Amino acid sequence: MLRKGKQWSSLAFMIIALLLFLILGVRLFYLQIIKGDYYRGLSSQNHIRVITKPAPRGLISDRNGVVLADSRPSFIVTAVPSEFDSTNTIQVASLLSIPEETLSGILDQASSVPHRPVVLKASMSVEEVSSIAEYLYRIPGVLIDVAPQRRYHRPEDCSHIIGYIGLSNDPESFRGEITGRTGIEFSMNEALRGSPGLHREVVDAMGRVVEEYRGTDSDEPLPGSNVILTIDSELQRTAFELLEKTALPGAVVIIDYATGDILCAASSPSFDPNMFSRGISLDEWDALLQNPENPLYCRAWTASYPPASTFKIVTAYWLIAEGLINKNTMPAPCYGSLTYGDTEFGCWTAHGRMNLISSLAQSCDVFFYRTAQLGSLDGLAEYARFFGLGSQLTEILTDERSGLIPDSDYLNSTYGSDGWGMGVLLNISIGQGELLATPLQMAAMTGVIASRGQMPLPRLVLQGEQREPFFPEEACDDTAFDVVTEGMLEVVLSRRGTLHEVFSEFPWDFWGKTGTAECFGEDHAIIVGFTREPEPVVICVIIEHGGHGGAVAGPVARDILLSYFEGSD
Amino acid sequence: MIDLTGRDRPDIVLLIALLVLFMIGLTAVYSASTVISESDLFSRQLTWSIIGLFAFLVGTIISLRRLEEISPIAYVSVSLMLLITLFIGRGPADRWLIIGPLHLQPSEIAKAGLIAMTAWWLASQKVRPRKFGEILIFLTVLPAVVLTALQPDLGTAVSMLLVVLAMFIWAGYGIGWIVLLVSPILAAISSMNIFLWLGFMLILTMILYRRKYSIPTWIAFVGGNSAVAAVTPMAWNMLKPYQQSRLITFLNPSSDPHGSGWNIIQSEVAVGSGGFSGQGLLQGAQKELAFLPARHTDFVFSVWAEETGFIGCVILLAAFFVLFWRIIIAARKSVNPFNSLVAAGIAAYIGIHVFVNVGMTLGIMPVTGLPLPLISYGGSQLVTVLFLLGLVVNAGMYWREV
Repeated sequence: MLRKGKQWSSLAFMIIALLLFLILGVRLFYLQIIKGDYYRGLSSQNHIRVITKPAPRGLISDRNGVVLADSRPSFIVTAVPSEFDSTNTIQVASLLSIPEETLSGILDQASSVPHRPVVLKASMSVEEVSSIAEYLYRIPGVLIDVAPQRRYHRPEDCSHIIGYIGLSNDPESFRGEITGRTGIEFSMNEALRGSPGLHREVVDAMGRVVEEYRGTDSDEPLPGSNVILTIDSELQRTAFELLEKTALPGAVVIIDYATGDILCAASSPSFDPNMFSRGISLDEWDALLQNPENPLYCRAWTASYPPASTFKIVTAYWLIAEGLINKNTMPAPCYGSLTYGDTEFGCWTAHGRMNLISSLAQSCDVFFYRTAQLGSLDGLAEYARFFGLGSQLTEILTDERSGLIPDSDYLNSTYGSDGWGMGVLLNISIGQGELLATPLQMAAMTGVIASRGQMPLPRLVLQGEQREPFFPEEACDDTAFDVVTEGMLEVVLSRRGTLHEVFSEFPWDFWGKTGTAECFGEDHAIIVGFTREPEPVVICVIIEHGGHGGAVAGPVARDILLSYFEGSD
Repeated sequence: MIDLTGRDRPDIVLLIALLVLFMIGLTAVYSASTVISESDLFSRQLTWSIIGLFAFLVGTIISLRRLEEISPIAYVSVSLMLLITLFIGRGPADRWLIIGPLHLQPSEIAKAGLIAMTAWWLASQKVRPRKFGEILIFLTVLPAVVLTALQPDLGTAVSMLLVVLAMFIWAGYGIGWIVLLVSPILAAISSMNIFLWLGFMLILTMILYRRKYSIPTWIAFVGGNSAVAAVTPMAWNMLKPYQQSRLITFLNPSSDPHGSGWNIIQSEVAVGSGGFSGQGLLQGAQKELAFLPARHTDFVFSVWAEETGFIGCVILLAAFFVLFWRIIIAARKSVNPFNSLVAAGIAAYIGIHVFVNVGMTLGIMPVTGLPLPLISYGGSQLVTVLFLLGLVVNAGMYWREV
């Protein structure tokens, strides 16, 4: 009975087991033999794709909250190299209207990381994309994505301050990552960029997203911080427009000398940084580089010029502060030139007998030739450094130049200790020779007089603390400040003053100084000056090849200030 | 007639099938472990394999009579282990018991205890039948099943129940009797659908009629099951939807929490992409790209299928079938009812696990946490199965002993 029962049971067990195993076998046959190719196709394409979601770049706005740079959505077409079939290259190239070789070049370069999408064409508008989207969607491995595109609202006036962006070359960066190339975009890049998000997507053979990857390692992008500039964009625009009107290259720097805020730093000619956002073409780039007036060049701080007669405020301050002369000292009269050794040092007219005040007002060179000989070259060079010349002022602007103060160390190493003489001091005393300063430095130099040494270092970003005054406290000399200030006022008030006519109708007091920097061709026209009312600002205007300082740069400075003060009333 | 003293050689066919499966297991785990950051998976599995071989040898030389005597104690021990695990369990779903360097999975070990216990009860029931003894057996094995279900590991619990039922069948109880035994569960399930329920009641009536039960038994079965069927949907509907889904997740935590059949789809892709001859050992792309879930444990068959294709799968399934067949042979020829029942229980254990696990990877069975015996990564399972197979070889050698 037991044996018989067991025989029956074991038969039943075997039959059931056989049936179950057969079911498994049939299913295996179906999956592996019948549908094998299908699944093999799925398997070879089935993978995780890592998409980098760019973080929205921070806004850049002016001191009044006017947005100067933001990001707007634009479309990009990308391809995943591993999913892209090269037989589609011609079709995609024609749809995107880019050369076939360019396209295959991009894909070849990207093939080292085959699962990451590479940008084929960036900054496309809705209209551009919608006309080709239907075709692109049918091509495996080609994706249309949204990427923020940098937009500059004041394309020309602020382009040198804000700079522009470009694709990052950093090997650490993701494909298509944007990075600041110049200006604030470059120097504040770390704050502006934010951190990109990572999305992992599971995609099928057609590159379609099957689902979001359920990992914990997907991150949302972190937007970049906003940057507020000290710039007043209205003032900046006025300055830029007035500069452009002269049809000459030039720069305007206006600083609030109470706070050190750079209110305006215009440079003309300029360029449109939006060209870089949408991807600058080779032709556009060549045109920018080959333009003889070099629009990419920021004349407010990258260019340095001989400060010419504007430097006399430093020389005058030095003469008084060091006790070399006093307010009433009258050296031998100006006969239109001075012969020192066998060199004749010229003046622009024969001024006659002058004291410091009138020689500042009428910009007499001979007065300074004669009095500067009382001091030493290194003494004057030290004061030039006190006034902010010879070194960078902002720290954050990488394209800011430091200018040049030719002291004895410099001259010895350049010409040898016998290669130069006292004549250098004479030239330096009137701001010529090898002395070089940027318009920003000239403005700061003037700011020292305006603030009686209290002006903080200039700053371009409003966030954070004011900076420290740069003029050394031990160099402050009330008499010297008084005398130079009086001289600068005489430039406007005295009938023979170089700015008398230009500023005769100006409703506020203006302390100024003109300069005419000698150079090849027409001289550069320079004016520096400041106001106390209605706003404590210092201005420096330089017009390249503008001729005499008072005549060309003066009206530009006056009109900018008029427009600014009247606008802000 | 029958020689009661001699003994046979170990079943060489069974040993060959076992060796084939053992090697397949190590290969598949090695392949799966190459893409898992825990790089010592394979060496740990090797260590467990050595321990498992010892367990196998112990199984072959242990006195089955002695084992029969200690079966209830063994069962109580594993039940206590399950109970402790419920409180201090660690690891995935708190199913592990950690003792020093050992990470034990008591539910795997409990399967051996359960088989021994059921065999002991059924064998003693043959010698001294009791009234309602079958119900008593069923109630005795229930704690281990319930404790496993509470872990929660419904898949393993159901597989335990199926092994016990298979052993009942082996012991001579008919299918009809089994249906009556589990009728409340069937009633609860069938209550989802009126036709299902009608079908169930029809079968129930036929069984009751054929077995010529008395009127009170009729009332008890039909009335009781109707009550269960009536209460179940009401109880279910009283639950809020989130409670229902929680209950489902509780009962079957390895079911796809995202509901998209992701695991199964990926497993099917892996298996299917193996084609006829596979992508070559260690070459599996699905495995490589981390698409395959639980590559070294529950879905190890998918790795094997992807890399060795239809040929490899047929070899694996054939080896399992041969193993099953040889266990049944051993069970059939064992004179001692306990030995026979233990072997039959092991056969059921192997058969159920293979079908449920492989069926899951092929997308024809629901996702449960049942491992593939001898193949899946996991020490407790490997050692338990090898020990049980040692018992089978042992029973096959000493089949004449009563």
